[in-house]
Amino acid sequence: MDVLSVSVDSVYSHKVWNETELIKMTGKDIPFPMVSDQTGSIGRLYGVYDEEAGVNVRGRFLIDPEGVVQAAEILSPPVGRNPEELLRQIKAYQHHQKTGEVIPSGWKEGDKTIKPHAGLAGKVWEVWQPPKE
Amino acid sequence: MLVTKKAPAFSAMAFHQGKIRRVNLEDYKGKWLVLCFYPGDFTFV
Repeated sequence: MDVLSVSVDSVYSHKVWNETELIKMTGKDIPFPMVSDQTGSIGRLYGVYDEEAGVNVRGRFLIDPEGVVQAAEILSPPVGRNPEELLRQIKAYQHHQKTGEVIPSGWKEGDKTIKPHAGLAGKVWEVWQPPKE
Repeated sequence: MLVTKKAPAFSAMAFHQGKIRRVNLEDYKGKWLVLCFYPGDFTFV
């Protein structure tokens, strides 16, 4: 899995942010490319550029090996994301693409998945139940 | 709406482990990629 981060800052700002702050949080250089989108053109392509504020909001796109967007999440600036949910989604899509099975609500790695077939329509309750409260 | 559609192509400069270099979305064909936008460097979260 690869990562690209994107903001409207310059590459020099990314360099200084990495050196003066991020490295102190994580103990190492940011391992992925930090992309500069100073005109907001990439953000506009993905529908996350806020024209009034002049910044990209917190858009996250999961792109599969064929170049297809499989999942997206968009948050406004004040709230950070949950990387564990992203990793869960990647595992779920990888399982689906490998097996053709579909992934029930709340699935975690190792949990039951479902093989879709006509006979199962209306009978999913026989093979899958949500966790009890 | 982009989900289930081809990711829009782009090419841009990036800072990556001490170097400034160009990245192209196409270079990530064959791999899972997380494309992550955020409002700005030196913000708080």
